[in-house]
Amino acid sequence: MVDENVLRDKAKEILSSGEVRRLIGWKRGTYGYEAAPCVITDASQADDLIFDATCVQNPASFITLEEKLPVPRGQQPDTRKIAVMVKGCDSRAVVQHLVEKAYIRDDVVILGIPCRGVIDRRKAEKIFGEAPQPVLAVAEKDGVVIRVNGEEKKVSREEILADKCLRCRYPNPVISDYPLGDEVEKWADDDFSDVSEFEKESPEEKWAFWEEEFSKCIRCYACRNVCPMCYCVECIVTKLKPQWTRRSTDLSENTVYHIQRAWHLAGRCIECMECQRVCPMDIPIMTLNRKLTKDVKELFDYEPGVDAEAQPLLASYNPQDPEEYIM
Amino acid sequence: MSNDFEPNIIGFLCNWCSYAGADLAGTSRTHYLPNVKIIRVMCSGRVNPLFIVNALQQGADGVLISGCHPGDCHYLEGNYFARRRFVLMHKLLEHVGVDPRRVQMSWVSASEGAKFKDVVEKIVSDVKEAGPMDQFRRRQLNW
Amino acid sequence: MGDYKILKEKVPDFIKALDKFEVFAPVKKGDTVRFEKIDDPSRATLDFSNTNVPPKELMFPETETLFRYRVVSTEIEPKVPSDEEKRVVLGIRPCDAMAFSIVDRLFGWDFPDPYYQKRRENSILVGLACAEPCSNCFCTSLGGGPANEEPLDAILYDLGEFYYLKTITDKSEAFVSSAGDALESAGDSERAQATELAGSAEKKIKRTIKTEGIPEKLPSLYDHEFWTQYSNRCLGCGICTFLCPTCHCFDIQDEIEAFDGRRARMWDTCMFAEYTLHASGHNPRPTRKERTRNRISHKYSYFPTKFGVIACVGCGRCINFCPVNIDIIDVLQKSKEV
Repeated sequence: MVDENVLRDKAKEILSSGEVRRLIGWKRGTYGYEAAPCVITDASQADDLIFDATCVQNPASFITLEEKLPVPRGQQPDTRKIAVMVKGCDSRAVVQHLVEKAYIRDDVVILGIPCRGVIDRRKAEKIFGEAPQPVLAVAEKDGVVIRVNGEEKKVSREEILADKCLRCRYPNPVISDYPLGDEVEKWADDDFSDVSEFEKESPEEKWAFWEEEFSKCIRCYACRNVCPMCYCVECIVTKLKPQWTRRSTDLSENTVYHIQRAWHLAGRCIECMECQRVCPMDIPIMTLNRKLTKDVKELFDYEPGVDAEAQPLLASYNPQDPEEYIM
Repeated sequence: MSNDFEPNIIGFLCNWCSYAGADLAGTSRTHYLPNVKIIRVMCSGRVNPLFIVNALQQGADGVLISGCHPGDCHYLEGNYFARRRFVLMHKLLEHVGVDPRRVQMSWVSASEGAKFKDVVEKIVSDVKEAGPMDQFRRRQLNW
Repeated sequence: MGDYKILKEKVPDFIKALDKFEVFAPVKKGDTVRFEKIDDPSRATLDFSNTNVPPKELMFPETETLFRYRVVSTEIEPKVPSDEEKRVVLGIRPCDAMAFSIVDRLFGWDFPDPYYQKRRENSILVGLACAEPCSNCFCTSLGGGPANEEPLDAILYDLGEFYYLKTITDKSEAFVSSAGDALESAGDSERAQATELAGSAEKKIKRTIKTEGIPEKLPSLYDHEFWTQYSNRCLGCGICTFLCPTCHCFDIQDEIEAFDGRRARMWDTCMFAEYTLHASGHNPRPTRKERTRNRISHKYSYFPTKFGVIACVGCGRCINFCPVNIDIIDVLQKSKEV
């Protein structure tokens, strides 16, 4: 875990050195169980920065969310770096960006923060009810100390941590320029049992499940926008010529949208679970991504977002790839 | 399923091997089932896996992708890429609940007219068993 | 008007008795609640804080067909709802109901919208007063309240064992008369309890914003840096606008299947870049800064200037569901300070 003062001092140092144009981190929100991501440009704002178990958002998403307008004639574009604070899972997004050459290593300054897990708003609301005041939470080895509505309580990790944290394989950032705080011990592993369980169902059962889930979708595209790996300038779902999927919301178009979204993350998803967290209709979107993650691992022994020197999965091949399904 | 269901299957065949294989089947007067509607593409690597989804959405009951045998690709490596993509898309569709028999891939070379006939027979009988694709076809329900 | 009560276990019977109407009510699926057409009365629930998707979708659906056509002919087949499709909507929260009276002004403005208006006319709105407001509700700041009656036809109060039903307009008589045995008459004591419930609920609302001066102030902040604070962390998704009970923007697209086509309209949002994208490629709102500004300014400045009422009802959905903790109350508060 990291001392917030260390974090702020480092942020101040980086910002005042003038080498970065913006720093992405978290600050305290104005309500509820989640912190707010923030983008700061000046050392004077660094005192807002925090890190605790409410920092659920993935700051790596905001690296590619930066919008660059055409530079007026006679002016030079700002080519300074972007600094970004990352947890273990977030750091994998940065690695995957580098694999895909979304930007180069010299464009980013990475402040790596070891993390003991973040809380899940939905789980917390079931335990403590709504929180009109911003919540403070610290994940410890044996539980989470959480301060809701003025009262401090301790709950077990299983009860309140996000699902991704309960099977976290990378609690420490896999890439960083400035590692902040002491590394934490890995406490969990991922056996993909939820995916294997679902695989056993018949096609009819699977479809009955997805039919219900997909028909809830309102196509707000929050899952796409929040995804650190969804950074195309023009997205396939909004293209009109050709129109891959129609804008109308019905089971057919929603299904195709979700297949497209999951497909475009095949071998790229770094499992930050942001898509599922943001969904206002509680669609278990990650179930699709995790299926692909599992298959990619089993079939091609590939794990995205770990090695910055790796080749992107679908832009490479191995002549020995499995072909059991091919006649 | 009733036996008189005639499936509509879209076949994406690569120009250099499978399309020529299908052509050979025709010129050697082999009778193969007419359910597969062939779309010629330059390489199986040209087939974006979303073509499969789009075909199923627009009314196909099954999709066949066919290319050169590994190592024989006219563009040297197109079918290797196609193979990776196809396997993953196949698994993804299966996870969503699409009958895995609807989507198939085969390697058919220009000299394998007879194999092409077998491939077509297999996919047609498989899709016949799976029945009409009615899961996420664009329906006119709410129109 | 009339006072009635319905025992809680009689609610399914009550819904069943309304067979002359299409009944819409909230339905729970997992943790999400959404209005649906009720065929099986046991699916309806009146035990919820608020629906994820506001009932605006019943008047202004996510996707609706405007008309159908065949490519080979010049005939079109309009799909305006007919007079016969009478509907009862049960369990509308007062804030969402108030949104109807705001959106009515827009859809009845220069070009009256027959699709929306017909559905509004055909619907009997039965509200459900709030007993436990959500932590981000701020309806009292916008002229609403936990038992606000405008423009409901009737309103239900949850009084423990039973619901107290108060009818408000003549329109509601039609459905009261068809409800039959499920309804019992109620009197002054129930009415007093209901007033007390509304009073105590109102006290539970913690969040407030004084809206005076905001419509006049916002245009002066047009180029202000303060918008970037929010837009920097905005994802540009459609949650806040799609789930807003007063947001009413739509896109119109033609969809063609072989020779059959339809012109459909579907929800659109000013938070998407495509919303303002011109055919030339120019986009007058090129970044999220302009889009965030537009969302807030439209609700709190442009709409009140044109229609005399703020296009926000304080339901708190945009706050509750925002993935990045953007808080409209905070934005407005800051806008007053800068």
